[in-house]
Amino acid sequence: MVSKNFTKTTRVLAAGMAFAAITAGSAVAAEPLIIGLTSDASGQYANSGASDRRGMQMAIAEFNAKGGVLGREIKIVHIDTETTPATGSRVAERMISRENVGFMIGAVSSGVANAISQVAQKYGVVYLNTNSSSPTESGKNCHRVKFVWDGNGKNFAQAAVKNAISSYGKDWLLLTNDYVWGHNTSKATRQLAVSHGAKIIDEIMVPQGTRDFSATLLKVQQKNPKVIAAAVGGDDLKALRQQVGQLDMGAKYAWINNQQDWPDVYGLPMKNLFGVFGTTWYYKLDLPGVDDFVKRYQAMYPDTKIRVPGNVFYNGYWATRSLLEAIETAGTTNNHAVIKQLEKLRIPAATRMQHDDAYMDAKTHQMQQTVYLATANTGSNDKDDMFRILSNSSPEKVADMAAQSTCNLESFADTPVVTR
Amino acid sequence: MDIILNLLPHIINGLALGLLFALIALGFMLIVGVMELINLAHGSLFALGAYIAMTLIDPNIAGWGSFGVWYMELSLTLRYVIGLALAPAFVAIVGMGLEICMRRTYGKKAEYGLLLTFGAALVIEESIRIIWGSSEQFLPVPEMVSGAFIAGGMIYSNYRFFAAGFGIFMIALVWLFLEKTPYGSIIKAGAHDSEMVRALGVNLTVLRLMVFGLGASLSAVAGVILTPIWGLRPHVGVDVVIPAFLIIVLGGIGSFWGAVVAGILVGLVVGIFGAYASEWSLMSMYILLIIVITFRTRGLFGKKSALEN
Amino acid sequence: MNNALAKPTPIITKPMIALFVMLGTFPLWGEAVGLYHYLGVEIVIWIIYALGFNLLLGYTGLPSFGHGAYFGVGAYAYGLVQLGLIESVWAGVLVAVIAGAVAAGIVACFLSHRRGIYYALMTIAFGQVFWFIAMKWHTVTGGEDGLLNIYRGTLSFGVFDVSLRDNVPLFYFVFAVLIIVVICLWRLVHSPFGKALQAIRMNEMRAGFVGYNVWLIKWTVFMLSGAIAGLAGGLFAITQESAYPDVMGLHASGYIVMLTLIGGGFVSFWGPVIGAIVFFVARDLLGSITETWLLWYGLMFMAVILFKPEGIAGIWQDLSKKLSRNQKQNAPVVSQHVKAGE
Repeated sequence: MVSKNFTKTTRVLAAGMAFAAITAGSAVAAEPLIIGLTSDASGQYANSGASDRRGMQMAIAEFNAKGGVLGREIKIVHIDTETTPATGSRVAERMISRENVGFMIGAVSSGVANAISQVAQKYGVVYLNTNSSSPTESGKNCHRVKFVWDGNGKNFAQAAVKNAISSYGKDWLLLTNDYVWGHNTSKATRQLAVSHGAKIIDEIMVPQGTRDFSATLLKVQQKNPKVIAAAVGGDDLKALRQQVGQLDMGAKYAWINNQQDWPDVYGLPMKNLFGVFGTTWYYKLDLPGVDDFVKRYQAMYPDTKIRVPGNVFYNGYWATRSLLEAIETAGTTNNHAVIKQLEKLRIPAATRMQHDDAYMDAKTHQMQQTVYLATANTGSNDKDDMFRILSNSSPEKVADMAAQSTCNLESFADTPVVTR
Repeated sequence: MDIILNLLPHIINGLALGLLFALIALGFMLIVGVMELINLAHGSLFALGAYIAMTLIDPNIAGWGSFGVWYMELSLTLRYVIGLALAPAFVAIVGMGLEICMRRTYGKKAEYGLLLTFGAALVIEESIRIIWGSSEQFLPVPEMVSGAFIAGGMIYSNYRFFAAGFGIFMIALVWLFLEKTPYGSIIKAGAHDSEMVRALGVNLTVLRLMVFGLGASLSAVAGVILTPIWGLRPHVGVDVVIPAFLIIVLGGIGSFWGAVVAGILVGLVVGIFGAYASEWSLMSMYILLIIVITFRTRGLFGKKSALEN
Repeated sequence: MNNALAKPTPIITKPMIALFVMLGTFPLWGEAVGLYHYLGVEIVIWIIYALGFNLLLGYTGLPSFGHGAYFGVGAYAYGLVQLGLIESVWAGVLVAVIAGAVAAGIVACFLSHRRGIYYALMTIAFGQVFWFIAMKWHTVTGGEDGLLNIYRGTLSFGVFDVSLRDNVPLFYFVFAVLIIVVICLWRLVHSPFGKALQAIRMNEMRAGFVGYNVWLIKWTVFMLSGAIAGLAGGLFAITQESAYPDVMGLHASGYIVMLTLIGGGFVSFWGPVIGAIVFFVARDLLGSITETWLLWYGLMFMAVILFKPEGIAGIWQDLSKKLSRNQKQNAPVVSQHVKAGE
């Protein structure tokens, strides 16, 4: 344990600003603050988990370079959550009772996020769900200690649906992964589409774990819709991309996809990136600070295959940075004080490198932020420049209204006090 | 008439899918049939084959010097053929290494061999993650088999039909090898009575080594062919073992044609369920298995096997 | 086994006492050696699960590769009772056991006239069916998110109550269950029924000729094993405060086979106990040391199978044999299979 923390911390420090780190290291006398990183390192979301983790590490390195948080050096403990909820519970228990972590950060899978947040709530430890985009995370499975940093399926549907009806047509077909996330996302799309005058001609359910979509794609052709709204996730989506690309079906129909995570698509042929999809950030947004952010990423991770930061990294980075800033503002690591700070969090657009100010919804604990629609940037010579941003929608326009009524946060009295 | 027209594409698709399933099961079948060993590393070898092929087809030539430049000037088709030929050969070597470890479990309970290959599966998968990273990658295919064609108003993928055709080719090749060559006769004899083969002066140790190598390379071939459809990630092989296992048992252990027929049957069932009751498509193969095994103890064409004891 | 015929097996044996003392004092020394209470709870639950599983694998020689299904059924049953019927730990655990038994009982009807690989494959197929139902029937099971917020609750003993909220009282609760399970299973494997199981493992056909109703015995042992898996699943739901479909997946089902074999389930009653402890402690330590823990884990399994296929219990037996050989010149020949009293 000790040696791993040590090497990790040193690597992070060295990669950051070495000079500042040395001065900071000698100035720090207080006990270090330990932060647990709970991102997946194996299983379906191993790759996104790694990207997520890099974001957190960069934010932490930047703080350590400035002398840590509240004058305390920040140390990292990472344990693989294996994209498995049962493991998530065990890892959270271990981190809290054995590693004495003050805060936990990281999730891509909503199942893992749920498992961790339940344990976190029991002990009162603040937990940041960085990258799970299931609407239930800030809906019925919300918790006082949990904060959600990604846009969810409903946000993206809000951004995409209305436009698609006017530009592509009214005959819609839903292609839905047959599990809870798929159902929730497709329900949100269906409601929005119908209320804007679309006709749902069919809904094709594909079981989770499907690797061969040939029958589905033939069926789609027989139904001949104008728009296909796909709520397919994880490895299933990767297989679907590959097969739609092979059939050149991406251009034949207007595909509306949910969010496409950068680590999932980076380096793939452009043909696989069919249709319109959502994202919360892109490295070529024409906003001040973006270029500098990309440079910092490249300086810190010179050997990483993914040469530019994407949305998963961005969420991991911002969740961690906002947490550390909230601790600084609160002046304490006391969980209640930090939660109260995060609940009134508001970050100016210029700082966050998005088009609109972002703010935390105190009722659902979901970050309200700009949502972008993008499509494949065909014809670009730059291999990294894969997305073409089509539009940006302000947080108010894409807000998930249903979450307000389904989320019921525990009271502060029911949340144990932790100060570490 | 309308129903038939509506159904026809799905039957064609199901047949193609079935050939792919049969291809997946081929390497698994050989090892189970001859060595009566359930090779749980089948999926990892499948993935390993695809990764090696990807590296051969689209290598990072930095540090290769002028050879690298020359190599990359070869046409994609040629590099693809090199990948398709050499990747299984590399994987065969890995498979032989595994067989050498395996020797200590011969004559013991079948569970030990199973567990050893399970351990090997973990090791290979994690090694892939270390060498190639955990990100989604893709295996390029030559221009002439990519793209799509239109028939009867429906779009079909060229690659899928190439893959199915290749499946037929591999099935024929393995069948010819087993039936028409002296090696095949020895392998088949070894499957039925290893004592007899030994008595005839055949070196059983070498025979097993070869069979395992051959089985592993067939897993790799399936990986190279299938991953352009499924996508390529370190745990891609996890999705292979169960269908392979299922097809072998459905067809009957030790039966070559049983496995082929079962593969096609599973493809048809999954394809047609995928069209008309898509949410049950994955489940349909298990239901098929339970129905068949409930009525036919040894699958469709199975013979008595040591694995039953 | 000759010994066992000569004199009745004691209810409590020395290894049993050693295990109970070691586990019973775990909350006192666990944290000092770098473990934590929650891990202890999980290990004890998996010991229960593995002991029940070894009734099938080690004693009867029936490989079940889809056993996670009954563990999962128990977990869901417990959760559904708590969330929908009555908030009682006792009722939940009881229903979990019954649910595990019923599910396994139904499946066993399809399995019990099968052998070897066909038996194994049918267990996988049924395991997948249960997993699929858990994912698909999400209005009841919560789909991939699972059943959440199953609060740990309070053990009611009539005169006084014990809250299970903390891990230490929970540990003692599952430990108490383990004591009961160990004693019952120990009696069972040394009863005539236990002898029948071993007869079936050695030669099913001969067991039939001798007059055992092989089908019924195979059905019963599968059902019993499923009931114990259900019990463990119910306890797991208490511990995790949730029931997830993953425990029913193929991987989780593979782990139980692995840890039983690694521990030495074929050669000793205590094999699964050792296996569960080694499996979880190793996973926890490796997982916290390196991100590539799967690699080392896989190598560890390969090494055990290559160099000591009888598992860790086998190493222990060799050592004790050597010791007793040093003491007595004429050591008795020990059979390769599950031995009473070791």
